[in-house]
Amino acid sequence: MPLINLKMSYIHKFFSYRAANTLIVFVGLILFFAFFTPRHVFVNPRNITSLSKLMPDLGIVALGVGMLMICGEFDLSVSSVLPLCAFIFISLLKVNINPSFALCITLGSGALLGLLNGIITVKGRIPSFITTLGTMMFWRGILYVGSHMWPIGLRAYLPPGSVFEHIFVGKIGGIPVQVIWFIAFAVILGIILHFHKFGNWVYATGDNKLAARAMGINTDRTKTICFIIVGVLCAFVGILQILRMETFGCTQGIGFELKAIAASVVGGTFLMGGIGSMMGIFLGAITIQILENGLILMRVPVFGISAFIGLAIVLFVILNTYIERRRTR
Amino acid sequence: MGSKKSKENLVKMLNIHKWFGKVHALKGVDFEVKHSEIMGLVGDNGAGKSTLIKVLSGFHRADEGEIYFEGEKISITSSLEARRLGIETVYQEQALASHMSISRNIFMGREPVKSLGFLNKKVMNEESMKALESIELHLRSPDTLIAMLSGGERQGVAIARALHFKAKLVILDEPTIALSIKEAREVLEFIKQLKKEGITAIFITHNLYHVFPVAERFVILNRGEKVADVEKEDTSIDKLSELIVKEPLAGETL
Repeated sequence: MPLINLKMSYIHKFFSYRAANTLIVFVGLILFFAFFTPRHVFVNPRNITSLSKLMPDLGIVALGVGMLMICGEFDLSVSSVLPLCAFIFISLLKVNINPSFALCITLGSGALLGLLNGIITVKGRIPSFITTLGTMMFWRGILYVGSHMWPIGLRAYLPPGSVFEHIFVGKIGGIPVQVIWFIAFAVILGIILHFHKFGNWVYATGDNKLAARAMGINTDRTKTICFIIVGVLCAFVGILQILRMETFGCTQGIGFELKAIAASVVGGTFLMGGIGSMMGIFLGAITIQILENGLILMRVPVFGISAFIGLAIVLFVILNTYIERRRTR
Repeated sequence: MGSKKSKENLVKMLNIHKWFGKVHALKGVDFEVKHSEIMGLVGDNGAGKSTLIKVLSGFHRADEGEIYFEGEKISITSSLEARRLGIETVYQEQALASHMSISRNIFMGREPVKSLGFLNKKVMNEESMKALESIELHLRSPDTLIAMLSGGERQGVAIARALHFKAKLVILDEPTIALSIKEAREVLEFIKQLKKEGITAIFITHNLYHVFPVAERFVILNRGEKVADVEKEDTSIDKLSELIVKEPLAGETL
């Protein structure tokens, strides 16, 4: 009898864990696609390798966007900040700046763009949805004019096989390095969110801003820092994509703004802020990309895939809302 | 008004005026709170209770008047500063984050940390349980989410938080307003525990039946003016309620 109780309490604990729903769907999808894709191509090493090269792009951006959402804000400008930073990076390489130095400047630019989003939102006292809608369009316009919308090849400025390149898009023991970056960012941000006092401020700000402020938390600064984190992560992914594709394209990252929100939501993050976990966001980012990949392999027409993803998001939010309501009852 | 008197007052507010645009919300209120007393600040809606208290807790600045705390003249410009002085407010819009745990709420903004700013969860959990027990609030775990607590228990957490941070003065801004009868009674018990701990408290409400059994002295505001300042033994609920609703001057009524 006590053994059963113990087991029950483990099961109970598991279900009360916020990322649990996402984990179940994640595992379910993997099993489903492993069995039902033609010739089990989903679990083919080649598919897994290509997935693990592609997934970190959206995944890393989503980690930041999800944390910002927990804080109660949105960032739609990721889809413009990302290619703009990529453009800054390749432009720096063009003028013969050392790649490592160019990397630092690009990450700094990402931070500044995030800071700008934060300051406009906080000081202008407007919803970040509007701020970042504005900056998304603004920076995209600047980027299109600045780059003349021409792609720029990487190889003219960075010969293949450099150590720099290996650090970002090489392989370690057969595993693409991007995956390791993705996991590393998730772990670092997870530690900050769940074990550092800053994480406590993020949750408090997103949950009850007035209370947080009354308790002496600088909610404006907390939000702004979250915006900066998103900016830096976008810059990082911008560089990652250039190195992987060996070219800059001004349509890099298009659609990421909503996909990142979708990934966070699938990971159990609430649109109103205050609820979410880094593990959930991490799994959510993988889950929606697995869904996309699996459906393509199952020969669902490419243009019809968004229908499934849309369906999945809505179902997920319904499920999460239902579970959250039961948890707090 | 010798210096002796000001010493036994924890708070003394003199001639406080506050305008909101053309509205004269506080019309020269004098206000004192003695050491370790529970004082009832009573008045109808719009009488100026909350405004007065927000001046004291740093939310508003008085347009005129002086504030003394522990005998020293002070000017409170922010809620952070008020808290540094030892003035903690339990707001009517419960200042808790409902999807966070009890211990994370109690230490919100003042987290005990190990090196590099990482939370010291052990201290957080132990200290929050201690704080809750000091007001006789027995909850299972410091990891319980606020959303799972009753309204009374939530106010208890907010009061325990004030207590933990060694508040010299706890301001309870309508702590029973949104609660059921049973929950309100729980909160009144917590307030009695505060008194046992020797903490000074201002209990703001328009519900005389809640404040009367708990407080020792009553200040009544009516349309931005102080109309009474009486000890409990010199008054009754009936007398007080008459003062609350009385029109200040017959000629002013329309």
